Amino acid sequence: MSALVPDRRVHPGTILIRFLREAPQTLLALPAGIAFMSDKGLWGALWVAGAAALVGLSFQWLNWHRFRYGVGGAEIVIESGILHRTRREIPFERIQDVDIEQALLARVFGVAKVRIETGGGGKDEGVLDSVGVDEAARLRAAVRAWREGDASSFAPTAAADAAPSPRILFAMDLPRVLLLGLFSFSLVYLGGLFALLQTFDDPLKSFFGIDIYDPGRWIGVADEAAHSRFTAGTVAALLIVAVLIGGAVSVVRTVARDYGFLFYSEGDRFRRVRGLLTRSEVVIAKRRIQLACRETGPVRRLFGWFQLSFQTLGAASDGSGRQVAAPLGRGETLAPILAEAGGLRLPPPPALTMVSERHIVRALIRRLFLPAACIAAASIWWRPALYLCALLPLLGVSAAVARRFHRYALDGDLLFVERGVWRQSLFVVPIGRAQAVTLERTWLQRKLGLATVDIDTAGASAMRTPRIIDISHDKAKTLAAEIAARAIGARPAAAPV
Amino acid sequence: MKPLEAGQLWVMRVRAALVALVLLVAATAAEIILEHDRLPDGLIVAAVLPVVVWLVLIAPRRRWRAWGYRAGDTDLELAHGVWTQVRTLVPLDRVQHIDISQGPLERMFGVCRLVLHTAGTAHSLVLLPGLARDTAERMRDEIRARIGEERA
Repeated sequence: MSALVPDRRVHPGTILIRFLREAPQTLLALPAGIAFMSDKGLWGALWVAGAAALVGLSFQWLNWHRFRYGVGGAEIVIESGILHRTRREIPFERIQDVDIEQALLARVFGVAKVRIETGGGGKDEGVLDSVGVDEAARLRAAVRAWREGDASSFAPTAAADAAPSPRILFAMDLPRVLLLGLFSFSLVYLGGLFALLQTFDDPLKSFFGIDIYDPGRWIGVADEAAHSRFTAGTVAALLIVAVLIGGAVSVVRTVARDYGFLFYSEGDRFRRVRGLLTRSEVVIAKRRIQLACRETGPVRRLFGWFQLSFQTLGAASDGSGRQVAAPLGRGETLAPILAEAGGLRLPPPPALTMVSERHIVRALIRRLFLPAACIAAASIWWRPALYLCALLPLLGVSAAVARRFHRYALDGDLLFVERGVWRQSLFVVPIGRAQAVTLERTWLQRKLGLATVDIDTAGASAMRTPRIIDISHDKAKTLAAEIAARAIGARPAAAPV
Repeated sequence: MKPLEAGQLWVMRVRAALVALVLLVAATAAEIILEHDRLPDGLIVAAVLPVVVWLVLIAPRRRWRAWGYRAGDTDLELAHGVWTQVRTLVPLDRVQHIDISQGPLERMFGVCRLVLHTAGTAHSLVLLPGLARDTAERMRDEIRARIGEERA
């Protein structure tokens, strides 16, 4: 315990920002509910809303008043809590870096949220919400200065020159961001739009007399369409409109997220700045990178575009362990980024081997058996179900093709795994990062003499992992043993985790 | 591969027996509730009985036999699973910390579990049940020594 007395408060504008942020939930829901219950009408609702606002504001003020922080010679101290006081000391040596994020509201007030990144599992250990922009820079400079070995130089002017000179590895101009928006086109957003429409269902009904869930209305529309001469044209137009809206939504979303994308290397860390309204800055410590993943979609790969992301340990501020390093880049621009991340590289072209050809057999059995059984069962009651058999070859082809895109290679200290037909991923796994190697054999795999090799890494998501499915059992055994053996030798030098 | 202690087989059997007991009670309750229906007496219990026999008399031994471990110099290898056979290789210097845990049932039969925590995701907990207390403690000390020398 240091004797430091924290004497700083966060920016007073925070009170208003937080109040405004929480207003929709507390202000609208609560009085509306009360007014509805007590039949006081509009004035009653307003009165309750005013009172609730006052209570909310004073609560936020109290929160602000009781939240104090201070920066000592070797630690940051945060004291918080209105009744239950918490004192948290974060030693500089445990601080990985200081992340600064500015949402739209925060930019209006000229403040920024400061997140103190420590090694501890990505939890919010130290968040200062929010301090002035210059104060944020000063905090970061203090941490950096300490890191440079000069613990006493906690001066506001040291902000810029304390940092090692950054080197830009990847940047996107507006046309590139727009292109990315087009590539990330998805009709999923259209679903979101419909959900939004659903929330506006009531006003539509009461103000305009439109009931979007009235089937008669749509049947009427469809009827009109059917009786007009432009039936096919109408349907096509509707489809085009849907596609246009979907495209527009994804472009807007992408621009909001990735505008002014900058990814640069700075000594032992990467730094990423992006965003139009919410400008976010994320730091990725290079030695916390567990693996790299290069992804591409069906359209993107026709033009040679790839996305590169790193799986990191706890550094992600959005909770996931996946950080995008380059959302849309050509192969040759990705190589330098990989090289900077602890000497990763892409596999030499012919080096990847496909998994066993029995993978196709297993995929066929797995994908065809159930649908075939369903069709057979259905055809007992409804003979035309047999026509669905025409779909089976399609499934078969997709099963057969999957093997061509499922390849792997163990090359020196790196394991490469390629997966996915539609959305292709290439995992680059430093062997030294393998936490455990697992060999799995299901009943069917045993009959076919196959096995699945799974490499567990820190911060992996459940779905997208470098699994090698269906290689022959002998190969799997040697591969797993080889990985385990090399993992001992290839331990990254400075890796506590 | 070394097999687990025989005590673990009994732990598995007793656990299965508890599940079986619940099943039997549920089946009997269903019999009583549906008494007046057109179902012949004892049908539900008769249907549950083979499941219970398999659960208590057959499955535990198969599962117990599928377990095995090999403590190497640099890694620990575990094998388990009857239908889906899983073999896990844990490089020992990846182990974050080690627990030995023992439930009441395990205490009764004199076995305990070695729990290895790694930083991984899918296998962040690697579990080795059915060890004698002194074996588990010896393994823990060996692994701990190994972690210590890596970190030093």
